[in-house]
Amino acid sequence: MNERAGIAGRGGGVALRCVGLVKRYEDVVAVAGLDLEVRTGECFGLLGPNGAGKTTTIEICEGLLAPTDGTVRVLDMDWTHDATQLRSRIGVTLQETRLFAKQTVRELLALFVALYDDARSADELLAIVALEEKAGARYQHLSGGQKQRLAVAAALAGRPDLLFLDEPTTGLDPQSRRSLWDVIRRFRDDDGGTVVLTTHYMDEAEALCDRVGIVDHGKLIALGSPRELVSSLGAAHVVEVDADGIDAAFDTAALEALPGVVEHACTTERLTLTVRQPHVAVPAVLRAVEAKSLRLRGLSTRHLALEDVFVHLTGRHLRDGEAE
Amino acid sequence: MTRRFGMRPRVMRALTGVAWREYLRTPEAVFWTYGFPLVMALVLGFAFGEGRQEPAHVGVVATAPAGTSFAEKLREHGGGRLHVEVVEESRARRALTLGRVDLVVRGDAEHPAFELDPARPGSELARLLTEDALASVRGEPRPVRATIEAVDEPGDRYIDFLVAGLIGLNLLGAGIYGIGYNLVLMREKHLLRRLAVTPLGRGEFLLSYVASRIVLAMIPPLVIVAFAWAVFGVPVRGSFLALLGLFLLGSFTFCGIGLLVGSRTQSTETVSGLMNVVMLPMWLLGGVFFGNERFPELLQPIVRTVPMTWLTDAIRGVMLGSLETGGIAIAAAVLGAIGLLCFCLAFKLFRWT
Ligand SMILES: Nc1ncnc2c1ncn2[C@@H]1O[C@H](COP(=O)(O)OP(=O)(O)OP(=O)(O)O)[C@@H](O)[C@H]1O
Ligand SMILES: [Mg+2]
Repeated sequence: MNERAGIAGRGGGVALRCVGLVKRYEDVVAVAGLDLEVRTGECFGLLGPNGAGKTTTIEICEGLLAPTDGTVRVLDMDWTHDATQLRSRIGVTLQETRLFAKQTVRELLALFVALYDDARSADELLAIVALEEKAGARYQHLSGGQKQRLAVAAALAGRPDLLFLDEPTTGLDPQSRRSLWDVIRRFRDDDGGTVVLTTHYMDEAEALCDRVGIVDHGKLIALGSPRELVSSLGAAHVVEVDADGIDAAFDTAALEALPGVVEHACTTERLTLTVRQPHVAVPAVLRAVEAKSLRLRGLSTRHLALEDVFVHLTGRHLRDGEAE
Repeated sequence: MTRRFGMRPRVMRALTGVAWREYLRTPEAVFWTYGFPLVMALVLGFAFGEGRQEPAHVGVVATAPAGTSFAEKLREHGGGRLHVEVVEESRARRALTLGRVDLVVRGDAEHPAFELDPARPGSELARLLTEDALASVRGEPRPVRATIEAVDEPGDRYIDFLVAGLIGLNLLGAGIYGIGYNLVLMREKHLLRRLAVTPLGRGEFLLSYVASRIVLAMIPPLVIVAFAWAVFGVPVRGSFLALLGLFLLGSFTFCGIGLLVGSRTQSTETVSGLMNVVMLPMWLLGGVFFGNERFPELLQPIVRTVPMTWLTDAIRGVMLGSLETGGIAIAAAVLGAIGLLCFCLAFKLFRWT
């Protein structure tokens, strides 16, 4: 057995720990005191709006950027002392990279394979991301999605224990995205690897990540499994009621009088309620609509999703910022 | 175990392969390295190579007494070496400025007045030829002029001088573009960033990248020498091996300069400016297209500092026998020292991000 498997095995250890991380540029604070712990063997997702500091955080963890303040420990090592060792044990895709344009897919993979002392073969990597058909194609002629898959394959070349993927599925079609999820899951489940990824797709985070952290303005503002985060809102369902002139019929007091309503929002045509128990809330809403003799045009309920949490949290932050 | 500062042959081979393929699969780059110097040699070699003498262009101002017939006479007595045309007074100065004529003549055969730009190389010749023709018009005997022996032996012509310059330019381009610009391009594409998070060592990367380019850069100078020999009979009088050694050394020096220029520049726009600053003095003062010994005293310190001067001098020294062995050795030592200095600095300054 490989000696690394022992270290990286799912012993409940910590693969990555950031404490009080700060990254300041001349006029912006990209990361403003961020604490983070990623457990060995989990897939961790960093979510957050554009400019929140995800890439900066991840690049500090990869040893590419030096933090202004704070400490990072990766696989129980740190970048000042064990950089060489660390580089052979992490795999990385950057948010934006263009590789050597004139090389073929196989030649590029062969290069990455050569860089590691213990590496997968180029053929194995091609198979993992299903790029065998494109093995002989030059990088410059690949589609965006094929380049992304190649980037993931290159990240896996050195049999890493820890994988950093910065927006690995941005721009991929739904099919390719799902097949990349499988690649990532297999890395976690079969190789016992740890994954830290960023994404703007909430469904992806829900489907793939064991835990997610939501970052805004360089700080971690929420942390937990997608399920925990959703239930932290104190409600599990969204009810949407469509009727013309509905906003005039319900004032805030009327909405708050409805049973089990946690949050509400209203436009002229649509009333959106976040509720604990739809079987209590829905009949009450319908009675109220009938009482005001509005013509109901549609009614739907759905489970609350991570996206609602995200909008709730980061949206509120935006308002806080404006109020100042 | 990874050796951060050790060199792994497997890695060096892989990177060298990538660098070579990257170059060879870019036809434009191949054209510029091979096509450009050869076309330049052809054009300049033929333009200045043959013993043909350009006629001197003289403009006779039309308002002068008997303007047209005066021009006729001058043309007649010019012996085929004077190209005479009649110009309007209002256009005369302009024709001179634009170089359409080398000399403007006013007045008549008895009282001629010349207008010329003494800084221009053709104007003295035009003056001499015109004075001869005027004397002939006046019926005076032509002044005695020494016989002229044209210099067109291989080894003494302009093309013989030029070949070393073209080789120098080629090596300069390979170093500055091939290494410097490409490095910045790779940084701009975040490709260096991507390599930085692998166990690839800085030494492994820089050395294999530079070595692969140096080897590539050795080929075009050999092609230029072969071409110049085949087409113009440009000789290699000294040791061929010494010539090869100079190509290697020149390539090393310019690659070092290229590496330094690209060691931490962030954008291709910035590096373009930097490259021009480095290359311009080499083009102008490095003895590429014309000898630099007669540049003003003030410029001589710069002339003697640019590595191009040392390289072109040494190459001419070997090819044309214009320099003693000692002189060539000194030039080689200077080149090597400059190259080594640049390499060490670049290695220290280099940044992946
Ligand atoms: N080199 C830099 N110099 C100055 N500011 C920077 C630099 N790099 C990043 N920033 C700023 O830091 C902030 C965080 O950037 P970062 O790239 O980490 O965001 P992100 O969360 O990855 O966003 P996205 O989702 O758009 O990728 C941004 O406001 C950005 O403008
Ligand atoms: Mg980002």
